[in-house]
Amino acid sequence: MADAPPGIDLGWGVVAGVARYLPQSLSDAMGASSHLYLAANIDLDRAVNWLAELNAHRPAPDRLVMAALFLKAVTHGLRDVPELNGTMIDGEGHPSSTVHLGVAVARWDGAPIVAVLPDAGRRGVDDVMRMLRDLVRRARTDRLRETDLPEPTFTVTHLGYLGVQAVFPSIVPPLVGAVGFGKVVEQPSAVQGAVVCSPVVTATLAAADSVGSHRGARFLATIDRVLQRPEAL
Amino acid sequence: MNRQQVRDVILHLLQEIVPAAAVRDVPLDVDLCDTLLLDSLDFLNFVVAVHDTLHVDVPQADYEELRTLGGSIDYLTRAHERRT
Repeated sequence: MADAPPGIDLGWGVVAGVARYLPQSLSDAMGASSHLYLAANIDLDRAVNWLAELNAHRPAPDRLVMAALFLKAVTHGLRDVPELNGTMIDGEGHPSSTVHLGVAVARWDGAPIVAVLPDAGRRGVDDVMRMLRDLVRRARTDRLRETDLPEPTFTVTHLGYLGVQAVFPSIVPPLVGAVGFGKVVEQPSAVQGAVVCSPVVTATLAAADSVGSHRGARFLATIDRVLQRPEAL
Repeated sequence: MNRQQVRDVILHLLQEIVPAAAVRDVPLDVDLCDTLLLDSLDFLNFVVAVHDTLHVDVPQADYEELRTLGGSIDYLTRAHERRT
């Protein structure tokens, strides 16, 4: 059977041949390697209240915005699922031990730039916030040069301010994954038989197929879990 | 500082945040974030710039008052008077 030409034998060899062939032809047709999308709605009631309470006691330069909590939550997700943090070259994954978080920032002329927060996993949320504010300011005013930055190991897109509810991010090759956060909206939900409204964000993960749905789901579950305990970020 | 001076300072600070935008053409009564496409970070950068330049620390609870150019001029003129 090993000598049978592919496509002629009616046994296992043909099935295997077809199985090998199909994903390749599909990916050729799509012009990109195949990947998966997973989305989760995350309740932000605790995070919003915690942020408001914290900011009420801080002068403007020391205040936080929700995006900083999202970025810190992403670093926790990447620690739990390190397969998402890194590059994929010729079908082989190269996870990175540090998290250089790429943040897509829109500029006034419409051309986005990926600002990078180096070693975001090791930084506290205040440090992440300071860097983010500075990077966005520089990116918007064209004082940020992409050559100044390390290569990102994962990217985050946050388009909530444009009213977008769910962002389906593109993976920037050779990266393995990307996550998008939409607009924080008030949504009704049933809690112990009563309808309550709470702020909710949709987080959407795009990942290479090799990462698998289970790992992808775990990544989103970690983001949800840590955002329920924002004081621990 | 009179209203006109506060207005000039506000426009200057917004221009720093969105250099390519025609901030001088923004009407007094439209939403600044929607018109200038400011996200929460840009808006915070504006509040911080106000803090550093006019020495007025706008609490988060009062952010709504800064939503329009007119609202910002009213609020910051009052706050700056109280400060001096």
